[in-house]
Amino acid sequence: MTSSPDTDLAPYLAEALDLLAEHPVVDGHNDLPWALRQHARYDLAQFDIAGDLRGRLHTDIPRLRAGGVGAQFWSVYVRSDMAGEDAVSATLEQIDCVDQLLAAYPKDLVRALTADDMEKARGEGRIASLKGAEGGHSINNSLATLRALHALGVRYMTLTHNDNIAWADSATDEPGVGGLSAFGREVVREMNRTGMLVDLSHVAASTMRDALDESAAPVIFSHSSSRAVCDHPRNIPDDVLAQLPANGGVAMATFVPKFILPAAVAWTQAADENMRAHGRHHLDTTPEAMEIHRAFEAANPRPIATVATVADHLDHMREVAGIDHIGIGGDYDGTAFTPSGLDDVAGYPNLIAELLRRGWSTADLAKLTWSNAVRALRDAEDVARDLQSRRGPSNATIDQLDGPATS
Amino acid sequence: MADLQEESLAPGEVGKLDEPTAPVHGGDAVPPEYDEPAVPQDDPAPTEADGDTTRACDLSRARDLLARHPVADGHSGLPWALHQLSWYDLELGESALRTDIPRLREGAVGAQFWSLALPAEVRGERAVSATLDLIDLAGRVIASHPEALRLTRTPSDAADARSHGRIACLLGPAEARALGDSLGALRALHALGVRSLALHSTSWAAGAGLTRFGEEVVRECNRLGVLLDLSGSSPRTVERTLAVTKAPVVFSRSGAAALTPHPANVDDGVLAALRANKGLCMVPCAAERTGPTLARVADHLDHVRAVAGVECVALSGTYDTEDRPAQGVEDTSRYPELVAELLRRGWTETDLAQLTWGNVQRVLRDTEFTARAAQERRPPSTATAERLDG
Repeated sequence: MTSSPDTDLAPYLAEALDLLAEHPVVDGHNDLPWALRQHARYDLAQFDIAGDLRGRLHTDIPRLRAGGVGAQFWSVYVRSDMAGEDAVSATLEQIDCVDQLLAAYPKDLVRALTADDMEKARGEGRIASLKGAEGGHSINNSLATLRALHALGVRYMTLTHNDNIAWADSATDEPGVGGLSAFGREVVREMNRTGMLVDLSHVAASTMRDALDESAAPVIFSHSSSRAVCDHPRNIPDDVLAQLPANGGVAMATFVPKFILPAAVAWTQAADENMRAHGRHHLDTTPEAMEIHRAFEAANPRPIATVATVADHLDHMREVAGIDHIGIGGDYDGTAFTPSGLDDVAGYPNLIAELLRRGWSTADLAKLTWSNAVRALRDAEDVARDLQSRRGPSNATIDQLDGPATS
Repeated sequence: MADLQEESLAPGEVGKLDEPTAPVHGGDAVPPEYDEPAVPQDDPAPTEADGDTTRACDLSRARDLLARHPVADGHSGLPWALHQLSWYDLELGESALRTDIPRLREGAVGAQFWSLALPAEVRGERAVSATLDLIDLAGRVIASHPEALRLTRTPSDAADARSHGRIACLLGPAEARALGDSLGALRALHALGVRSLALHSTSWAAGAGLTRFGEEVVRECNRLGVLLDLSGSSPRTVERTLAVTKAPVVFSRSGAAALTPHPANVDDGVLAALRANKGLCMVPCAAERTGPTLARVADHLDHVRAVAGVECVALSGTYDTEDRPAQGVEDTSRYPELVAELLRRGWTETDLAQLTWGNVQRVLRDTEFTARAAQERRPPSTATAERLDG
């Protein structure tokens, strides 16, 4: 665990790259759209992702290629302190941003709406691009808005972000409705019916259990690791991981040091306090905010996560959920810090090399990188087709199901 | 299995069910003999019933003409009206509405703009989600009537729908407020099928006219191929939009202010400007806007044709909105009566073909052409209201 990845992994890297050429990574979560909003107000001319953006962003096309990425769920995240109409129109802007990227880089990125599209993109050597919404605040309590997001290509929705919403509890908030409310369950059913994956990253364990209970389709964790390895609320408890084989879902391990490295949890709390003391949002990654971060880091050395830290999580998740129910969700450009060896989207081969070193077989790794995630989407499509033959769109409202809001 | 599949996909077989409802002619302007109505010729000596017969003859000619040049209706309030109903049957007839499929067929409606307009209180509070609600509802209603309705995104789609005997449904106008002051949201709405935007009731298109951001919205609509709907816009917004836009504008439910004073009606100056812009004044069959009877609606059509030109006049039912319809044109089945009245007033068949279908189709094509040209020149705009308007 203490040795540097570069020397130990070198013998395995060539094999890792070969494997990724055949079975590229489906990454569950990348916040490039939000980074483009923050840094350039969507002016893509300022950030040509076909060029070298090292030092500015975690993501660009040359590094996605070097990292062996074959499919990416681009997050159309909007901050959870946005609410109501503002959250919806900001989500539409994020969706538009992904569409602009697809239009601007057709040689490398291609729209994918289905599992078949993902396979086709792999065959063409292009990066299948899917969209994932991060937080139920993006639909403003409206199932029609949920369907509009689906029509615009969104293929998963994380039920909450860092704050509770009216119908679901977040992992990083106080208990609210105690999991999913009746309307929350209806949202899950309607996602099943439309064919949008239910994403349980960010949600409270109670919400995970309610959603697994309600969902007829496989669920995903687009970027969450194991709570048994690192006790952070953003991670997945073992009892939930153990339910994935029955559900068919996929837990995509994330790289965010503050969630995966126990020593980093306390450090991050202090760093967040520091950001708030400077009057900034603790997730702010603008240059000025990063300056504050660096000053804090100079005074308080940051515990460093490594490739091995992520591999430890995957070893455990594999043990509990099974090889058919794990995947990868890096959260690049959504986190200020990354593990050493996984510094940007070019890092995946290091992770694969580390797992090869630990004795994972090619067949295991092909499931981890590509086929599990594709299968989950395909199964969700099957469930949707079946449900659509039996029931129409739901127009339930939160007032009908949960009673009028108490203010 | 493979054999069966090949057979079912043989090109000759596909589309057999979709025969055009109207016979296809070599040229639209000169109808062949067999299209002439048989009734008047078969009835050689009408004396006391002369007026009635002429009337029946006009109506018959009108129907005949509409079979070839169906109505493109510029404004239907159906989405919001359906949103208010817990149950409805568009297929067999719906007495709670002025629009249903039998009456659309009887009225020879070939295309309809499905308005996404919202009541003022909804517009103020939740325009974005309510608009997405209506788009979702419209999509579902259209999808559940595939024999009659077709969601249409381009002028070619509209022509295609018509030749397959389907009614082309275009989404719009949407409320300007539905953008939430965001051009990204405008593009997302366009991706969802919205093809027209009403420029009023928002900070950037108000009484004082378009702000800089408002002008950017106009340019982005031009780039996307979204029609600019100026019915209900302030005079200064109208003036500014006409100055900025590179594509034709529409007034989706405006009569002539010279005949009926109504805030949404357009004065002769604007009608003359419309001639230069090659836009459309789509005259509504609404009592408050165009007078209480069919004849008054026809007066408005006459006036608009005289001032703006025959290329710039079109029809707009404005049914199922808050407006009360004029007598004689109470629902979507009554367009033949209106066209018969215009025949009596001496409108030629060419004029009428432009009025009912041709002008709208031309504006849609011009808008698309402008959009293609603009897309060559400029990338999607990332301007924001704060940055342009402070």
